[in-house]
Amino acid sequence: MSVWVEGLVAALILIGAGFTLVGSIGLVRLQDVYTRLHGPTKATTLGVGGIILASLVFFTAQTGVLSVHEVLITLFLFITAPVSAHLLAKTAMHRQEKKVQSTRGEPWQQ
Amino acid sequence: MSVLFAIVLLPLIAALLPRLVQSMGRSTVAIVTALPVLLALLLLLGTAPSVLVDGELLQAAVPWLPQAGLMLAFRLDGLAWLFALLILGIGLLVIVYGHYYLEKSDSGGRFFSLLLLFMAAMLGVVCSDNLLLLVVFWELTSISSFLLIGYWSGQAAARKGARMALTLTGAGGLALLAGVILIGQTVGSYDLGTVLASGDLIRSHALYPLMLVLVLLGVFTKSAQFPFHFWLPHAMSAPTPVSAYLHSATMVKAGVFLLARFYPALAGTDLWFVLVSSIGLVTLLLGAWMALFRHDLKGLLAYSTISHLGLITLLFGLSTRLAAVAAVFHVINHATFKASLFMAAGIIDHETGTRDIRKLGGLRRYLPHTMALATVASMAMAGVPLLNGFLSKEMFFAEAADTPLYGSLNWLVPTLATIAGMLSVAYSLRFVHDVFFGPVPAALVAHAPHEPRRLMRVPVEVLVLLCLAVGVFPAVVVGPLLAAAATATLGGELPEYSLAIWHGLNVPFLMSLLALTGGVAIYVWRAPLFALQRRWPRPHAPAIFEQAVQALVAVAGRFVRFIDNGALQRYVSWLMLPVALIMLAAMASRPDWLGEHALTPVDGLSILATIVAVLAALATVVLRRQRLVALLMISVVGLIVSLAFLRLSAPDLALTQLSVEVVTVLLLMLAMYFLPSRGVIESTWWDRSRDLFLSLSIGVGVGLLALFAMTHPGATISTFFIDNSIPGGGGANVVNVILVDFRGFDTLGEITVLAIAAAGIYALLENLGLCLPIYDPEGRPWAKDRSPLVLQMISRAVLPIALLVAMYILVRGHNMPGGGFIAGLITAVALVLQYVASGVHWVHARVPHNYHPLVAFGVLLAGLTGLASLLLGYPFLTSTFEYIYWPIVGKFELASAMLFDLGVYITVVGATLLILARLGKLSVVEQEEGN
Repeated sequence: MSVWVEGLVAALILIGAGFTLVGSIGLVRLQDVYTRLHGPTKATTLGVGGIILASLVFFTAQTGVLSVHEVLITLFLFITAPVSAHLLAKTAMHRQEKKVQSTRGEPWQQ
Repeated sequence: MSVLFAIVLLPLIAALLPRLVQSMGRSTVAIVTALPVLLALLLLLGTAPSVLVDGELLQAAVPWLPQAGLMLAFRLDGLAWLFALLILGIGLLVIVYGHYYLEKSDSGGRFFSLLLLFMAAMLGVVCSDNLLLLVVFWELTSISSFLLIGYWSGQAAARKGARMALTLTGAGGLALLAGVILIGQTVGSYDLGTVLASGDLIRSHALYPLMLVLVLLGVFTKSAQFPFHFWLPHAMSAPTPVSAYLHSATMVKAGVFLLARFYPALAGTDLWFVLVSSIGLVTLLLGAWMALFRHDLKGLLAYSTISHLGLITLLFGLSTRLAAVAAVFHVINHATFKASLFMAAGIIDHETGTRDIRKLGGLRRYLPHTMALATVASMAMAGVPLLNGFLSKEMFFAEAADTPLYGSLNWLVPTLATIAGMLSVAYSLRFVHDVFFGPVPAALVAHAPHEPRRLMRVPVEVLVLLCLAVGVFPAVVVGPLLAAAATATLGGELPEYSLAIWHGLNVPFLMSLLALTGGVAIYVWRAPLFALQRRWPRPHAPAIFEQAVQALVAVAGRFVRFIDNGALQRYVSWLMLPVALIMLAAMASRPDWLGEHALTPVDGLSILATIVAVLAALATVVLRRQRLVALLMISVVGLIVSLAFLRLSAPDLALTQLSVEVVTVLLLMLAMYFLPSRGVIESTWWDRSRDLFLSLSIGVGVGLLALFAMTHPGATISTFFIDNSIPGGGGANVVNVILVDFRGFDTLGEITVLAIAAAGIYALLENLGLCLPIYDPEGRPWAKDRSPLVLQMISRAVLPIALLVAMYILVRGHNMPGGGFIAGLITAVALVLQYVASGVHWVHARVPHNYHPLVAFGVLLAGLTGLASLLLGYPFLTSTFEYIYWPIVGKFELASAMLFDLGVYITVVGATLLILARLGKLSVVEQEEGN
């Protein structure tokens, strides 16, 4: 495996881990549901996406055969993550969850 | 001897017919019922020369359960022949009578079916050549009698009477079974002939008193002997043909038949004498006394039956050979006159609408023919000369008069016998005089009764003619039959007796005379007796019985509520308790938990996962009131378990665990939706300690057990599976090969259980009236909007992909992780997602949603796959496999086990959806009603 590939894999892992870390910090730090929702969605899409891409590159380079498992996982994640975020947001609106000042608008009043 | 089988089995097989031809009219039903009986009767008469004249013993046997000593064995000796004649002959007459007796609205098919069933059971009792077989038929008579007494199931009296009869005769039947088993164990055979020949062995056995008492319990309950007599009067709620047939002529005679049958084996001891004769004497007197005061015609006849059965029992108890002959003779006579009297009572009831003697009178003007018949039969019952009753009563008096066994109380038996005779004359007189003579009550004048149809009277006429014929020409008419039956009863030589009408002026004749005059006197001056009887304390038998039954029900109810108070916790804890105790016992008995095998080194990741699982499990308990959080916590445990499976190289288990986890969460979400949010009762301190004890002992026990199993060396079965998986089962995935091949029978059982459980849950949810919550636990109304569009659209896109994955996992299962179970769960989850996203109606409009046949089809497919190997000459569920080459696809394998796996797959899909869709539908229906 060439240095370039190793570098690429490392970079992808770092990107993925970084997004996951940012998402996790966001989950802890952000003040209300509506903003907090952004944290885990970043982590599942970009964070896991980065790591999966790294896995794809690594196994393709190692075995010489295009590894497609990861693509399938990514596909499922990209389909399901927005849906669950959407449902969470809808529920929060229905429950009229408290919001902080900087979150604009009161969507349930529309 | 096939004739024997035909005689017993004809009515049994014919019992199916009346119901089948029910739609073809009442007459067809009656003819279809009567013909097999007539045929059986003719067959029986055909054996008369060999049985009665030559004294042959006809036998026929087929092994049934020879290991348990149960044989389908029949015998036809004189005694059995006599009873079979009574059963078939009177049965035929009762069928004719019953056809005219039943109302148009009564179900003739059901009635005649039950009657034939009873007839077959009764024939079985009298013809059995095997003690166990006898008990089987004995119980069958109890059950058919129960059904016949309760024939008019709309009446409370009929139901209560039927229940009482079943309880008593059923309990007696159990006692009889115990007695018969004791006898069989003593003798070493259940063969009747062997038992009868081993009388001395039985009588000298230490357990003889127990055997005798148990058998007598069966006899006395069946033949309504004191103190079990009270069920018989209440059995009179049955239609009159049933009373005439079962409760006077045949079934109640089963008890005395047993006395006769076991006479050579059990009789001849002091205990027999004391028990049987004293019970018989008490019953004889009590029955006669009570009969005198009954106002109900059938009640009078019922008590009279009890009294006459007491007489027969007393005769058997007297233990002389002549007394036994007299007893058999009286069985014949009582059956003929009492059946005809019941039929006459039925005619009176049928024509006037009442059976109350106080409301009847002067019927001779309207029913002269019936009157003549009833009078002759009553005279036979009273023991008037020239009728059959006189002859056997005379023999009875003769036997009573020279009873030597009571010592200084020798005068007691003849005196009491004479008193019973007087009472018998008095109630016979009352039956005739109060009904047919005297003034006509006003109600009857208004609706003048008329004679019933000619054919309804024919059975009565036949029986009354027999009474006369036996009474006038006893030796010719009944001589050979009595001789054969008595010989079979005694099991040896007959004593000297003569069946003449006139024996000269002797003690029995004087007793008869005294009974006749005394009886007339009692009837004439009955008013003071009635007054006395009214002041008599009368224990109300049904009330006492009902109280006893209620008390028993209450005790049973308390016991059940103790075990199962309706809360699942209590119920499950009873199931878990034995497991916990076994675990504790195992822990105590094997201290060497750690074996020789070294433990796997632990790594940081495993420790971390374990800690998370433990914390999540604890959090589930602590946060149980926040249901959603608790659910999340418990699914964390499930996920970590499936990760553990993955790490320990069990991908099949991991996949299964994962899909089960998803289904469980969905199920719990649905269930929690219905849980009330308020008024939750906290567990008591005791409940919590119990739960803690159970979970600790089972959890620690299972852990130690696993430790023990994995650290101790030793041959395990797994090497066999691993070695034979490919050569034997044709699959590289050992887990799957075990499931579908090595242990295929287990799997078949499991999916059957799954199917049954699904059907059970479905049935429980059917018509379940649940309060649909309008507010969530925090008091906010539930959202009313439809499922979000995004979810709908995405889930529809996911469905084909998920199904494809499921198919892939199903097909590859034999060689790689997967298989029917996992694939079924994935399919179910994919479909359930459609329910969640788009609603029940949307899905049911597009997907066939009748899951019952699907479940059945799955089980059938798996079962048929197994049967296919049976057809090819291999054991059940043998699998076969073949490698096939296809262009493009290449080499692949086809195994019959895959078809089996497909059955598993279909069952799992069907069962899961059957449950989830049903539970989900509950909410939909009500929500729409709410809107």
